[in-house]
Amino acid sequence: MSILQSFKNLVRSRSIHVAYVDVGSCNGCDIEVLACLAPRYDIEQYGIYVHNNPREADILLVIGAYTPGWEDKLQGLWEKIPDPKVAIAIGNCPISGCVFNRPHSYVNPPVSKHIPIAAQVPGCPPRPTEILQAVLSLAPEVFKDYERRKR
Amino acid sequence: MKKTVDVSIPIGPVHPCFKEPARVKCETRGEYVLSAECELGYMKKGIELIMRGRPWQEVMFLAERICGICSVIHNMVFIEALEKISDIPVPERGALLRVIVNELDRIQSHILANFSYCYTIEHETLGMYLLDIRESAMDELERITGARVTCAYIVPGGVRFDLRDEDAVHLRASLDIIERDMKRYIRMFEGGPLIALRSKDVGVLTKESAKEAHAVGPTARASGMPETDMRLHHPTYQKLNFKPVFRTEGDNFARIMVRFEEIMQSIDLIRRCLDMLRPGPIRGGGIPSAGETVYRGEAPRGELSYYLKTDDAGRIVDISVQTPSIMNIEACTHYMLKGVASLADVPSTFISADPCIACTER
Repeated sequence: MSILQSFKNLVRSRSIHVAYVDVGSCNGCDIEVLACLAPRYDIEQYGIYVHNNPREADILLVIGAYTPGWEDKLQGLWEKIPDPKVAIAIGNCPISGCVFNRPHSYVNPPVSKHIPIAAQVPGCPPRPTEILQAVLSLAPEVFKDYERRKR
Repeated sequence: MKKTVDVSIPIGPVHPCFKEPARVKCETRGEYVLSAECELGYMKKGIELIMRGRPWQEVMFLAERICGICSVIHNMVFIEALEKISDIPVPERGALLRVIVNELDRIQSHILANFSYCYTIEHETLGMYLLDIRESAMDELERITGARVTCAYIVPGGVRFDLRDEDAVHLRASLDIIERDMKRYIRMFEGGPLIALRSKDVGVLTKESAKEAHAVGPTARASGMPETDMRLHHPTYQKLNFKPVFRTEGDNFARIMVRFEEIMQSIDLIRRCLDMLRPGPIRGGGIPSAGETVYRGEAPRGELSYYLKTDDAGRIVDISVQTPSIMNIEACTHYMLKGVASLADVPSTFISADPCIACTER
């Protein structure tokens, strides 16, 4: 492993930018992601920075059951995120549609049909600690030796 | 004067300041905002279409998933509409427990709204303080109802679980902590000179335009309309001698201060409920029957109304929900944002009206 690669590994393990996108949820998972910011859970002590800007994100948290309003937009948003990137589905909605996946509703779950999803956190809504654990356990696996694996 | 538009700037749907997707289109001349428009439609799930034809036992859980932030009030208004149709009595202890849980939900929702505002005007310290104290309110909700967000605590004829004595003691202790800290944070917000520069006289909504736009909730009460509070018509709140708080300035500062004062008032209401609690049943009997009604309640963001029609088996034939945010978004985009001096104030003014897009579109 080159020195540059090990340096990148070190930096990436302590600097993760998170963006979240709500594609049609009830808001419950949204505020649980926000609650991760609270000093009690303190997501920033692990070097995770929640800033809702896809251009500088490493991890995209997808919340919600995919409504028609997001038809091409979610794909476009996913392409705007620079590599290496990974998407995590938060809550039951992106996994199965939860209560909204019923006859006559407009939603089109799961989100993994539209963008690649690396991990799923079930729950309606999941607790902030579960979201935190998912981000922390996934990030090192995905970003480690990214350039070497790409070759 | 001819209206000249330099550039039309869209904000959203994914924006660092917005929790949820909405697009605000601003037509500007220089930095001066001439007019604004809100584009919705990113969250339409069709919950009312799913609800029709289902038994009330299922619709109850769907109703609280209209909005995750104010889930208790959606649950409460739906169940009380059902009780109004079928004349189901509620025991006194059950009614008081409903008010306790509803006010706890209001505390956490208002703190979250004020956190968003502080975060938007880049006062991150106060935002983090508020988010920290919000966890105390969430803990009490979890202790009483068993869940943090979607708790389904209120059922026809009463509530699901009783409040144990040790929980009541713990609740009082937490309320003391919340009150002590909130007093400090309110002083910080009131006395901060930079906060005043970003908030006072920004996004003014006069009483006349608030009436024209049919603004509801804290947004209307900050413009001097205390009669918009639907808690005045609720029997349990009338027993508690509820008096709404209001201010008359109508700017961003007044809206945030109204929320802060409502938090203090909610703490006071919960204390009075705890004093009035007597041992007794928490849930009476009753069977939902056929009927049709409109029922209103006061959500943290304003007036929430349910139109409900049921059949003999307790199935929902027709339902229509009107949530507060749709009114406040109209008031915000057409009256507050018009004439905002700087584009940097657009997100903070929009957030100060506390829009909840998930509620609005359902």
